[in-house]
Amino acid sequence: MSSRSTRRILDRAFTGLGGFSTLLLAAALLVILVPILIKGFGAFVFRETVEHRRMLLDLYETGDRAAVETEVAAAAKAREPVYAMLGAFKKEVEALPAPERRKLKSDCKDLEKALNSLLGPAPGTTQPILLRQRYGQNRWDRAQVAIGKVLYEEAYDYSDSSQMGKKILVPRVERFRGTSLEPLFDYVRDQSKAMLLPRWIFYGGFLTHTSRDAHFFGGIRAEVLGTFYLTLGAMLFAVPMGVIAAIYLVEYARDNWLNSLIRSCVSTLAGVPSIVFGLFGLAFFINTIHVSGSKSVLAGSLTLGLLILPTLIRASEEALRAVPHTYKQAALSLGASPWKSITTVILPAALPGILTGIVISMGRAAGETAPIIFTAAVSVGQPLTLLKTLTQPTPALSWNIYNLCTEHEAVDEIRHVQYGMVFTLVLLVLLLNLSAIVIRARLSRKLRV
Amino acid sequence: METIAEARSTRVVDINNLNIHYGQKQAVFNVSLGIVRQQVTAFIGPSGCGKSTILRALNRMNDLIDHVRTEGSIRLDGEEINNPMVDVIELRRRVGMVFQKSNPFPKSVYENVVYGLRIAGLRSRAALDEIAEKSLRSAALWDEVKDRLHDSALGLSGGQMQRLCIARAIAVNPEIILMDEPCSALDPKSTVRIEDLIGELRRDYTIIIVTHNMQQAARVSDCTAFFYEGCLIEFGATKQIFTKPEQKHTEDYITGRFG
Amino acid sequence: MNADVPGNRPQHGLQLSKRARRLRRLGSLAGQGFLLLITSLSSLAVLFIFIFIAKDAIPFFTLRGFAEFFTSTRWYPSSQPPEFGVLSIFFGSGIVTLGAIIVSVPLGISAAVCLSDVLPFHLRQMVKPVIEMLAAIPSVAYGFFALVVLAPMMQEKGGSVLAVLAWCIGAPAAVLVVLVLSEVLSGGMPVRFRGAGRYGVGAALLGLAGWGLWRASAFLNAIVIPSGTNALNASVILGIMALPTVVSVSEDALQAAGRDLRMASYALGATRAETILRVVIPAAISGITSAVILGIMRAIGETMVVWMASGNAAQIPTPWFDFLQPVRTLTATIAGDMGEADHVTGSARYHVLFAMALCLLAFSFACNLASEMVVRRTKRRAG
Ligand SMILES: Nc1ncnc2c1ncn2[C@@H]1O[C@H](COP(=O)(O)OP(=O)(O)O)[C@@H](O)[C@H]1O
Ligand SMILES: [Mg+2]
Repeated sequence: MSSRSTRRILDRAFTGLGGFSTLLLAAALLVILVPILIKGFGAFVFRETVEHRRMLLDLYETGDRAAVETEVAAAAKAREPVYAMLGAFKKEVEALPAPERRKLKSDCKDLEKALNSLLGPAPGTTQPILLRQRYGQNRWDRAQVAIGKVLYEEAYDYSDSSQMGKKILVPRVERFRGTSLEPLFDYVRDQSKAMLLPRWIFYGGFLTHTSRDAHFFGGIRAEVLGTFYLTLGAMLFAVPMGVIAAIYLVEYARDNWLNSLIRSCVSTLAGVPSIVFGLFGLAFFINTIHVSGSKSVLAGSLTLGLLILPTLIRASEEALRAVPHTYKQAALSLGASPWKSITTVILPAALPGILTGIVISMGRAAGETAPIIFTAAVSVGQPLTLLKTLTQPTPALSWNIYNLCTEHEAVDEIRHVQYGMVFTLVLLVLLLNLSAIVIRARLSRKLRV
Repeated sequence: METIAEARSTRVVDINNLNIHYGQKQAVFNVSLGIVRQQVTAFIGPSGCGKSTILRALNRMNDLIDHVRTEGSIRLDGEEINNPMVDVIELRRRVGMVFQKSNPFPKSVYENVVYGLRIAGLRSRAALDEIAEKSLRSAALWDEVKDRLHDSALGLSGGQMQRLCIARAIAVNPEIILMDEPCSALDPKSTVRIEDLIGELRRDYTIIIVTHNMQQAARVSDCTAFFYEGCLIEFGATKQIFTKPEQKHTEDYITGRFG
Repeated sequence: MNADVPGNRPQHGLQLSKRARRLRRLGSLAGQGFLLLITSLSSLAVLFIFIFIAKDAIPFFTLRGFAEFFTSTRWYPSSQPPEFGVLSIFFGSGIVTLGAIIVSVPLGISAAVCLSDVLPFHLRQMVKPVIEMLAAIPSVAYGFFALVVLAPMMQEKGGSVLAVLAWCIGAPAAVLVVLVLSEVLSGGMPVRFRGAGRYGVGAALLGLAGWGLWRASAFLNAIVIPSGTNALNASVILGIMALPTVVSVSEDALQAAGRDLRMASYALGATRAETILRVVIPAAISGITSAVILGIMRAIGETMVVWMASGNAAQIPTPWFDFLQPVRTLTATIAGDMGEADHVTGSARYHVLFAMALCLLAFSFACNLASEMVVRRTKRRAG
C-alpha cells in the first residue's frame, strides 16, 4: 500500500526533476538572449541627439541638410547661455587672488572638458583633430551619462581606513558656489533636452555605414561584409566537397577498411578544436602553400570551410540515407544509370535535408571566431571589394565583438556598438537556424502527404 | 501443355538452368522455363521460394544486391542477358518493373511518367506530353489525374500510385513488364482495377506477375509457374494448373493446404 | 492506340561492343575515383592538421625538452630568459572543463530523459528549438555575455548572485528530496500513524532543508568575488554551451533504446521512473557516455568563452578547487599569445603554442576514439 504510493511519489519526483531541468534549459537561453536582444536592439532604435544628426550629415551625407541646420541653430541658441556663463565666469576669475584663481581655473577646465564631451567643442574654438571630439554625445542615453559627469564629479571616500576607497559622487556645483557659474548646473540639468534635441529614430545605417574613428561613429558595414565574404567563401569551398563526400559514403562506399578509415577521419575532424583549425590555417594555408602573403579572407574561408566540412558531410549523409531505397530501384528499373539515378532522384529527394545542413553550417561559419583570428581577421579595416578578398584581411562580426569589448580604448563608451554587433550576429545565426527548421517542417509535411 | 508447344516459337524469354546464390545460400535451383510473348505469366508459390529473385534476374536488378551470383542462361529475344557484356541500362529499358510497394518519385505526376524518357535523352516537350498522355491512358489513370498532372504524385491514393508506377514503366515502351506482387498493398477495389488493367496491357506487352493470390493468378494469367523452395515444380497453362495439376504439391498449394 | 507496339519496337542490340563496355567501365571507374578523391581529400585534412601542427610543435620540444612543459607551473613566455611551464594552463583547461561537466551533465541528462520519455509530443516540439538555439548561438556571443553581463554582475553583486543561484537550483531539488524522503521514512511506521507521520516527517525535513539552504545562501552571500572573470564564470557558460550536445546525443541514445523495451517494463508494472532508471538508461548507457565525452570535447576545445571569461591568469589557485579565481586555458593561451608570437616565427614562444595545440589535438583524438569504442562495444554486445 505505502510502497505503492512511495513509488508513485518517486515517479512524480522524477518527472518533476526532468521538467525542472528542461525549464532551466529554457531559462538559460532566455537569460542569455534577452539582454543581447534588448540592448542590441538599442543600436538600431534609440534616441539620437542633434549631434548625431549633424554627424550623419557631415560624415555620411544622410539627412535633410536644411532641417538639420535649423535644428543645430536651435540647439546652439539653447546652449548660448552656457557659454555666456562660462565667459562671464572666466572674466570674473581674473579679478580674484592668485591661489583661488588657480584653483577655480583648473576646476573650470575639468568642467569644460565634461561640457565638451556632452555638447561638442565650444563655438569659436578650433576643430579638434580627433573625430570623436568634434561632436557631442550622439545618443541620449550616453548624453545622460555625460550630463551626470557635468553635474557630479567622482571622488573617493577614505573614511573607513580598513577598506579600499569607496567611490562617491560629489555635486560639482559645490566648487563654484557664489560664482557666476552656479546657475549653469541647474541650466544644464533642466535645458539638456533643448540643447540636444533627442528624438527616437531607427538607425538602419548601423548595418550599412562604415565605422568612423574606431566605431565611435557610424555602423558596422565592414564587419558585416567581412562575415558575409568569409561565410560565402567557406560555403563555396565546403558545400561541394561535403555533398560529394556524402554521396560517395552513402551510395558508393563498400564496407572496407579504407571507407571505415575515411569515416573515422571525418569524425576526428569534427572533434578538432576550432582554435587548432586556426593554427592549421596559419601554418598550412598561409605559411606553407601561401594562398596569400599574410592573413586574407581567402585563407580564412578555407579554414572555416574545413571546420564545417564534417558537419556538412554528416548532415548530407543523413539526408541521403533517409531517401527510401525504393526510389533508386525505381529509377534503375527505368533504365537510369546509377549516377543518373543519384542526380535525378536521390539528390532532389535529399535536398531539403542537405539544405538544412548547409544553412546550419552557414550559421556556424558565420559565428566562429577562433579559426579566423590568425587567418583572416583584423580589428580595423575598410569594407573590401570582392577581388581584394583574395589578398586582404577583413574585420568580421565575430572577431570584432571580441576586439571591441576587450581591446578597444573606450570599451564603455561603445557598448551599444558591441551589443549591436552581437545582436546582428546572433540574429543572423538564429534566422539561419529558423529557416532550417522551416525547411525541415516543409520536408516532413511533404513526406506525410 | 499444348499451348506451350504452340507458343514455343514466340517465346520472348528463355530461362535455362538458372541457379542463383545469395552468398553461400542458394535461392534458386536449376530453373528452366520460357515466357511467351504477349501473355500474362503468373509466378506463384509460398513466400521465400525465390519468385522475386527470378523476377529480378530478368532485368538484372539482382546486381544491386551484394554477393549475388547468377548462373545459367537467360535469353531475351535470343540474346543472352546474363553476361557482363550486356548493357543493363538498355536491358532495363526493355524489361520494365513494377514493385510490390508503389514507389513514385517525390515529383509531379507528369515528371514521374516522363522520367524514363527524360533520362533517355528525350527533350521535345510535345513528344513527352504525347507519350505521357498515352501512357497514363494505357494505365487507365488519365481521367483521374489529367487535371493534376503537375501536383505531387505522393498525393495520389495507393491504387492510383501503383497505376502511376505502371504508367511510368510503360512510358519507356518496354517489351516485358515485371510485376512483383503489385496488388499486395492495395485494397480490393484498387486490386480489381489493376487486374483489369493487366488484362488490357497484355495486348501490347508481355507481363510476368508474382502473386500470392490464387484467384488473381487464375483470373489474369495465361500461364502459371509454381515454385517451391527455389525449384520450379510445375509450369503450364493456367487453366490446366488450376484444374488438374500434375504435381501433388501444386494441388496442395492451390487448394490452400499449405503456404 | 499503340501503333508502334508491339511488333515493330526498335531493336537495339543488348550486347555492348567491347569498346563501349570498356568506355563505360572507365567512365564509372573515373567517376567513382573522382568521388573517392574528393572524399579522401576531406579526410586527408585531418592527417594534414596533425602533421602541420606536429611539425611546428616538435621544434619546441627539441629546443626546450619535455620536462619544463609538462611539470613547471611558471608561464613567463616573454621574460628574459623565458619560461614555458604549461602545467598551470593544463590545470586551467581541466578545471573549467570539470566545472562545465558539473553544470551540463546532470542537467543535460535529466533534460534528455524529460524530452524522450516525459514530455508530450507538442511540448517536445517546443523544447527542441530551444536546444537548437542554444547550440546555434556563436561562442563569441556567449563570451560577450560572460564578459559584459555576467562578470560585472558577479563582481559587483558577488555572493548574492551565488546565493540566488543556490536558491534557484537548491529549492526545487530540496522539495523533491523532502517529498521522497518523507515517503520513504514514513513507510516504516505503523499504518495508523502513517498519514500524520508522513506530514510530520515532511514538515521536519522541509524545515531542515530550508535551514540548510538558508545557511548556505548566507555563507555564499558573504563571499566577495574579486574578479568577475574567473573559472566559475567560464565553467557556467561552457556548461550551457555543452548542454545541447549532451542533451541531443543522450536523447538520441534514449530514443534508440526503443519502444518495446519500455513497453515490456511497463507491462511488468514498473512506474515510469523505474522503467527509465532501471531499464532505459542502462540500455542507453553507451550513448550517454559518448554524450558526456562529446560534451567534454566541446568544453575543452572552446576558445572564445574561456578567453573572455576565465581571467587568463596562469596559476593554480589555492585551494585548487577555488572556482572564484581566474585561470588560463590552453585555447585562450594559443589565441591570445599568437598575436605577439607571430612576429617571432621560429622562436620557442611561437612553437610552444603549437605544442599546446598538439596536446589539444591528441586529447580530442583520444576522446573520439573512446566514444567510438564505447559505441562499438555496445553494438557488438547488442548485435
Ligand atoms: N537480399 C537478400 N540477401 C540474402 N538472401 C535473400 C535476399 N533476398 C532474398 N533472399 C533469400 O532468397 C530466398 C528467396 O527470396 P525471394 O526471392 O524474395 O522469395 P519470394 O519473392 O518468393 O517470397 C529467400 O529464402 C530469401 O531468404
Ligand atoms: Mg517476393
